[in-house]
Amino acid sequence: MSSSILVEQLFDAAALAALLFLVSVGLSLVFGILRVVNFAHGIFYMLGAYVGSTLVRLTGSFWLTLILAPPIVGLIGAALESSTLRFIYRRPPIYQLLLTFGLAMILEESVRVLYGVTARSVDPPVFFQGTVELAGAVYPRYRLFLIAAGSAVGLALWLFLTRTRAGLLVRAVAQNSEMVGCLGGDVRRVRTAVFGLACALAAFGGACAAPMTTAYLGMGINVIVDAFVVVVVGGLGSIVGSMVGSLIVGAAQTWGGFYVSEAAMAIMYAVMAAILLFRPWGLFGEEE
Amino acid sequence: MSTTRREFLTVAAAGGIGVTLGAPVFLRRAAAAEPIKVGLPSALSGSNAQYGTQAKRACELFGKEINAKGGVLGRPFQFIYEDTGGDPATAVRKAQKLVEKDDVKFLTGTVLSSEALAVSAKCPEWKVILMSTINGAGQLTTTAWHRYFFRVNTSGPMGARAVSLYLAESPMKRFFALGSDYAWGRDSVGSFDKQITAAKKDVVGKDYPPVGTKDFASYIAKIRQSRAEACYMALPGQDATIFFKQASQFGLTREVKLVTEILELENLKAVGEAMTGTIGSSRYPFTVDTPKNRDFVKRFHAMHGIYPDMFDGETYEGLEWLAQTIQKAGTADDVEKVIEAWEDSTYEGLEGPFFMRKCDHQAVQPGFVVEAAKDPKYPHLIPKILATYPGDKVTPKCRTEDFA
Repeated sequence: MSSSILVEQLFDAAALAALLFLVSVGLSLVFGILRVVNFAHGIFYMLGAYVGSTLVRLTGSFWLTLILAPPIVGLIGAALESSTLRFIYRRPPIYQLLLTFGLAMILEESVRVLYGVTARSVDPPVFFQGTVELAGAVYPRYRLFLIAAGSAVGLALWLFLTRTRAGLLVRAVAQNSEMVGCLGGDVRRVRTAVFGLACALAAFGGACAAPMTTAYLGMGINVIVDAFVVVVVGGLGSIVGSMVGSLIVGAAQTWGGFYVSEAAMAIMYAVMAAILLFRPWGLFGEEE
Repeated sequence: MSTTRREFLTVAAAGGIGVTLGAPVFLRRAAAAEPIKVGLPSALSGSNAQYGTQAKRACELFGKEINAKGGVLGRPFQFIYEDTGGDPATAVRKAQKLVEKDDVKFLTGTVLSSEALAVSAKCPEWKVILMSTINGAGQLTTTAWHRYFFRVNTSGPMGARAVSLYLAESPMKRFFALGSDYAWGRDSVGSFDKQITAAKKDVVGKDYPPVGTKDFASYIAKIRQSRAEACYMALPGQDATIFFKQASQFGLTREVKLVTEILELENLKAVGEAMTGTIGSSRYPFTVDTPKNRDFVKRFHAMHGIYPDMFDGETYEGLEWLAQTIQKAGTADDVEKVIEAWEDSTYEGLEGPFFMRKCDHQAVQPGFVVEAAKDPKYPHLIPKILATYPGDKVTPKCRTEDFA
């Protein structure tokens, strides 16, 4: 009995981490490259879930939804970046805070007006409905898919950033955007693209989360707090950091919830505080 | 700016009435009279927006109906909404704005019990009435009670009581209790624990997930491990939706009967068929078969295009009762007189008779146990009534959470 519970918890932590990773990696990228702390990031996760619920209804295909929802939300994100954020990069950080917070409220309210207050349910594809036996534990198939999807996206992103020319440009902007500009690189376009990509990743996370949590108002705000913890723990601007941070936060929430549920939230922050004591720049962040 | 607009509206309204030569006298008076203002510091955004929206829908229907009849004491009702986002500190700030700036004498629509407790604590100082139509926490009418607070709705302990009475007669013996980690959830679990133990059954585990939990996997594992036959839960709207969804994905619903303190349409709509067979108490099931309710459901559906959920019904009842009380008191400005008129008064609610007892301002009313059931007449699952308990069986002794 107890070993099956342990196995189950490992998977729970990994599934939760997969969702957290999809959100936090974008947050981390946007900070690393645009130097913007994007409070509206969680809203794109929510948009992904809502747009996903609509697409599933229209197309009847969950897979098609997973392919279509991220670029749609990514384009919305890119449009917002080039119409608002672009103009305040040189201003003090408080402007970014106000702007992204305002965007979050406007987008959330728009969703409320468009979709109403009742949560939207999305069914996973038939193959991933139901449960499987895993080392004696009964486990939902869909969560296994989440783990696979999160890992695949993480790997793809890492390959993109380290093995492609476009990825090289992105890393160059992160390191020294002025120099890239001098060398003839289009920094503005890189920023817009990265912001759109981050939004698309969050939307992919949201569309994946919908069958597990439904699409609901407040899910963006709900996830962004955890995502910030992930990014702080893992280190701003680091993909590996986001991945490890997600696993730590996922594990803290899963085991915390099981053994000391009343302090489940506190445990997450305690872990964060402990890590920051020894590495104030996060596990994989760079000392500034 | 706002004054000018109000002046403009008054002038426009008065002008409109003036041209309408045939308008009856009372209508003209109603439009000219100062409105009776009701303030709603209510969660209209965030994951509890569904509850604030219910309160608002009820106000819209009630306001339209009562004002068409000329209002009360010749004065129309006016509702002022303020979004709290479900945060107690914001709720107090918004309530203060309603009281000090808008000069309301009646507050209602507080969504979370934690918000209600915070706002209620200020009401004696503000000298305004807080009428709960949603808030469940027992403390509101026990330790935290004062005479400016009225609870028209069924409380958490009352819901737990109805469920316990029902379960006492079931063959199930082992129960797990899951309550959201704030006033209402903890209170309901405590109440359930006490009563189910009194019925010589076991509560084999208790747990309190934080508000806004999005992964219930570890709780589901715990419930399964406890080998309980049923799980009693007091989780607010969206948390409950997520729990139901995941419980069904984990296959928990095949092994454990789910019993919820509030079986709401919002959950039934969002979760869908997976909730069939779930039982729970309902503070207002729209399926209750009284002539008054049948008519209400029809009018509500005509206005909003949906069937009324629990707090649509409870808020409507509260407003109707408040109007009846103001009529009886002969004033909407003298709060003390309104309080006196309300105490020990009766009201014919949608689901049956109500009585406002003087000792703790808890409305005595029938309690329901319902089951999520399919019905081809409706587009979603409906609460099918399994048992109805008279008010004196489900209402605790005055200012306590103990039952006779």
